[in-house]
Amino acid sequence: MRVLVADDSRVMRQIVIRTLRQAGYDWWEITEAADGAVALDLVRSEQPDLVLSDWNMPEMTGIDLLRRMRAEGIEIPFGFVTSEGSNEMREAADAAGALFLIAKPFTAEVFSDTIDPFLA
Amino acid sequence: MSMQVDTTAFAGTDPVYVIAEEVFSSMIDGEPGFLRHWDGDPPPIVDAMHAWVDVHGATNGRVLLSTERSTADDLARALLQMGPTEPVSDEDFADALGEVANIVGGNVKALVPDPGVLTLPQVTHERPHTDPEALIYELPLDWRGSLVVIGLWRLL
Repeated sequence: MRVLVADDSRVMRQIVIRTLRQAGYDWWEITEAADGAVALDLVRSEQPDLVLSDWNMPEMTGIDLLRRMRAEGIEIPFGFVTSEGSNEMREAADAAGALFLIAKPFTAEVFSDTIDPFLA
Repeated sequence: MSMQVDTTAFAGTDPVYVIAEEVFSSMIDGEPGFLRHWDGDPPPIVDAMHAWVDVHGATNGRVLLSTERSTADDLARALLQMGPTEPVSDEDFADALGEVANIVGGNVKALVPDPGVLTLPQVTHERPHTDPEALIYELPLDWRGSLVVIGLWRLL
């Protein structure tokens, strides 16, 4: 399983990847992107199996990345990992086609509880 | 944003403390018990570092986290699971401290109605300007014996 992790914080990308491993996804092949624009390029060229993206990023936000992907017909499963988890953002994420939104701070249990249902 | 924090979901407890406790226990310490309210009057912060995010909306606000440089180094090491004496690069230092402010700010933002847009985090040695009369709330915290202050400010 090839997964793209997009976050402008290198520290947060490390924490997300560490938490994925703690949640049992240590077999995933992870690629990193430092903003939404880089992530979009990688989505087009690498065709990952899943995108995990921050919301608030320079160049291109996570929600703009998701909308752009869907507008281009790219239906790769997409989930947010973001510091904001308001109802409005969850609704916007859902409307744009996101599978889930994990709000920071998170734990490995939150990751597995949220992601596992979509891996079946 | 109106900055009227909705406390009903927190059963009368301090919502900012609840947010900070969750951030520290899940992402910094890996377990609860290392963060508590500062006991007594907090001392002035020497060699301070500041990290903040702003919320731009109907009313503008700022979530500002301030602590000593050495404490900020320890926070970065904890986030990155580094050893206690391992050197932290300037880039990782700013990234880590900014991310703590970003997570706290994002969660505070979720508490207020019509909050607007959250900015990317900024980290500086010099304290960003805030009007002394614009302080909404200040929470001094004791993290492993060191002072960390979270302030909510209205931007005039």
